[in-house]
Amino acid sequence: MSALMSVFKSLIAVASRVSRRIGVPVAIVSLSAAPAFAQRLLVPMDDQQQNHLKAYGLTYTAIKAGASAEWLLNYRGGSFLLADTPELRRQAGLAGITIEPIDAGRLTALRAEIAANNMEAVPLEKAPKIAVYTPAGTLPWDDAVTLALKYAGIEYTALYDDEVERGDLSKYDWVHLHHEDFTGQLNKFYLSYRDAPWFIDLLQQNTAAAKRLGFANIPALKKDVAEKIRDFVERGGFLFAMCGATETLELAIAGRNVDIAQSFIDGTPMDPDADRKMDWKKTFAFQNAHLEQSPFVNSMSDIDGHQVNVAGRRQPLGTFTLFNFSAKIDPVPSMLVQNHRAVIGDFFGVTTSFNKAVLKPSVTILASEEGAPWVKYIHGDYGKGTWTYYGGHDPEDPSHGIGNPPTDLSLHKNSPGYRLILNNVLFPAAKKKPLKT
Amino acid sequence: MLRRLRNALLMFAAVALSAPVVAKLEAQQPAADTMAFYKGLDLEASGKYKESVPLFRQALHTSAGVNALLGLERVYAELGWADSLVAPLDTLIAADPKEETYRTVQLRTLMTLGRDADLRKAVDKWTHDMPTSSSPYREYSQLLLQKNQAVAADSVLSRAKAALGNTKDLQMEIAQARAAQGAWIESAQAWRQALVTADYLVQAAAYALAPTPMMSRQQLRDVFLAPPIEVGSRRALAELETTWGSPGDGWNALKDLPPDSVSADAWSEFAKRAESEDRWAIARDALESALKWKRTRELSIRAANAAMNSGDPTSALRLAPLSDAGKDSSLAARVYLPLHARALAALGRPAEAERLVAVYDRFLAPGAHNSLTRTIAWGWVRTGDMTRARAALAATGVEGDSSDAAGWLALYDGNLKGARALLRGGTESSPELALALGLIARLKVDSAPAIGKAFLLLARNDTLAAAAQFVLAGDASPPVRSLMLLTAAQLQTAKKNDVAATVLWGRILNDEKDTPEAPQAELEWARLLRNKGDVKGAAAHLEHLILAYPESALVPQARRELELANSSIPPSR
Repeated sequence: MSALMSVFKSLIAVASRVSRRIGVPVAIVSLSAAPAFAQRLLVPMDDQQQNHLKAYGLTYTAIKAGASAEWLLNYRGGSFLLADTPELRRQAGLAGITIEPIDAGRLTALRAEIAANNMEAVPLEKAPKIAVYTPAGTLPWDDAVTLALKYAGIEYTALYDDEVERGDLSKYDWVHLHHEDFTGQLNKFYLSYRDAPWFIDLLQQNTAAAKRLGFANIPALKKDVAEKIRDFVERGGFLFAMCGATETLELAIAGRNVDIAQSFIDGTPMDPDADRKMDWKKTFAFQNAHLEQSPFVNSMSDIDGHQVNVAGRRQPLGTFTLFNFSAKIDPVPSMLVQNHRAVIGDFFGVTTSFNKAVLKPSVTILASEEGAPWVKYIHGDYGKGTWTYYGGHDPEDPSHGIGNPPTDLSLHKNSPGYRLILNNVLFPAAKKKPLKT
Repeated sequence: MLRRLRNALLMFAAVALSAPVVAKLEAQQPAADTMAFYKGLDLEASGKYKESVPLFRQALHTSAGVNALLGLERVYAELGWADSLVAPLDTLIAADPKEETYRTVQLRTLMTLGRDADLRKAVDKWTHDMPTSSSPYREYSQLLLQKNQAVAADSVLSRAKAALGNTKDLQMEIAQARAAQGAWIESAQAWRQALVTADYLVQAAAYALAPTPMMSRQQLRDVFLAPPIEVGSRRALAELETTWGSPGDGWNALKDLPPDSVSADAWSEFAKRAESEDRWAIARDALESALKWKRTRELSIRAANAAMNSGDPTSALRLAPLSDAGKDSSLAARVYLPLHARALAALGRPAEAERLVAVYDRFLAPGAHNSLTRTIAWGWVRTGDMTRARAALAATGVEGDSSDAAGWLALYDGNLKGARALLRGGTESSPELALALGLIARLKVDSAPAIGKAFLLLARNDTLAAAAQFVLAGDASPPVRSLMLLTAAQLQTAKKNDVAATVLWGRILNDEKDTPEAPQAELEWARLLRNKGDVKGAAAHLEHLILAYPESALVPQARRELELANSSIPPSR
């Protein structure tokens, strides 16, 4: 992780020096690009691309193999420019990824176009080491990120409470969270599924893990795991969370010293004064949210705008719109919103969206629903690292329910919603210190 | 799901509102005191909502008062004046506190206006005035469900239970509230109770429970299958199973029903859906069950056709015996004879079919005879008796000579010119025909006896001999050698002779690698390897196919199978 940061810092330093000298922002790639006559493979990411999702895997493979790779922000939907190697051509052919071999002349024209517009060429230097927080043996099909990683052919390691508790997070650059309820209440599934065999099994496994790791109960264990994830980000890690993990991670961090769990899970009711006692100073994204006090309401707080599991509060799905950033000045948010579509259909999750009212002022909003009091996709810096939250469960299954069949991404290979996930996977390879507008 | 539920409820409400109005309107001539109402109705129908308002209001206190109120509710909704209905409703209810329509409209109006406190008061007043009626609870809970307020609806239903002592009249509302909260099993239990007295709710129950997650479906099945057997709940489960993609399980839910007229109707209805979805074996079973209770000509013919279409000619003969036609020879010739001739030909009993046609010959309509003769000729082909087949066709004259069967006979003779002319314009559609047409198109010669012999062996179901003959025929006809080898490999695979198939695919890939059969051979080889657990070997063939034949139409399929082999997508269900 530190090597990655130092690469980035040196790039920034060089770019800054040149920028000062000539008085305009400089595309970093112009300083580190391969010789102008070198032939490259352009991986277009606009509507010409036949398989957007696998294109990320191709780029990841190139970076991992040490081949040159650049991310052309805002150029044809956020295209990639890769070294022209037989292996990459082979992989593109196998996966049905559209590639365009380009010669020196076209490369020069391309760079000129990028320099003259709201575009940027960002070198991708080092493939991030990826970890997904999920129980051992879990199939990848019920988590949008592992689905996307598997489909794109990007390697990841699954880790869970035992590994986090023994400090393994430091081995990775990028960590993803999805289903976990870090308040330790197992997503309040107790209300509906207490007699279901899978829930009984889940409860037993988590209780055993808490005991094994020296915690009084599940909420105590999960709060400690949340704290270690917070620490991971503070030390320079990249965090990407979706679905219920976004909201509950924040609640667990803010409620570290408060009983925010209901009695069905820890034997004691929630502290009636819990709302007041929440400490939001250390959280990433939210502040002053209100906890759901009722054990019988399947909601954690008012962070989520859609409240899908509370029939009386449930809000209908709309569409969300990606923000447009300055590629040269704000390359990180630009990377995160690269897409061939600006407006994307919304999708439910345990946490679907984030109410604007509880966002910290420092949060960068990447996508929101026009006219709605909530946002969909947010990002921010924290310590030396960054975090990104993307509400919802599965971009191609808007109302996914427990037990529903998994999404087959070969049927959604151009999914704009999944592209946002894979943007997050690749952006640490080029992490730049955001220069706020 | 709730949106769909709401739409369903709205639709239900619309039907409930309009049905009595229409019925009454049809039954009555305008009486003097209802003239205003009818004028209002005309104006409403022509979109003159404002003009219709005073007329509906004028009619509120006439014998058409209830209908006038409903008219007023509709036009106020169009005009966005729902609040104007509140005062007249108070007056109407005070005058006739037992008229449930007034109360219902009042609740709807207050809900529309978002006046929740007034709405609750109105419900309380209704329950106070009519303490033994379940209507206020039903209407209020339905409104709450429409607003996605399932928890609130649930508490209303709990109140109903406390006040009325039971909720037997509210089972549908309970079921909907439970389903809206994701309590699928409790919902199923309530639906089951509701269906006991209201079997017309079968579709509604199936619709509401369709989103039940996979994990809860077995418990739901247990609810509907539990004794005693009730037709309504079994029909709902059958609908659900079919919706979930398993009509076989749907039939399992129905097959144990006690044989009576209600069950017979349920079986016949279920068969109709199976027929429309080409699930012929299930349709046959359902119709056969219905026949056991109520034997009608229509049912038996449907059952026999379903049996034929499911590849079961023996059952077809049994389900629609000629004796069903009684003494009506014309009926026997028109309806039963074609079915029996087809079944007998398929069973390799063309001589019996021939005899049968002879018996009813004089009752046949013009043209029917030739059609039956072609069926018989086809039966002879199936038995391999080409002489009899040719004789049968010759008997039909010119039309017979231009039939599909004539085309096949030409092919079996190796007469490609004749086969080309006859099969291309044929009416038949089958894998064998596709193969034959593909082959004929590729061959420029007019005669190929070796190929004809291979097809004849195939028609006689001598698969291994046919495979060997296709290889020989390929060697004799290089332009179609790859197709012949691929066909031989497919026949070997069908007979589980994997080694022989592999040899043939290898020959195609080595010697015929520029033919369209090469990528297909590669795909079929990969499938065989994957089925045998050799994922690496399968992937190698799929990768080679994709890279070596990028223009092949099989590439998308190869990519998908490569992803399955590499576990980069979920396994197919």
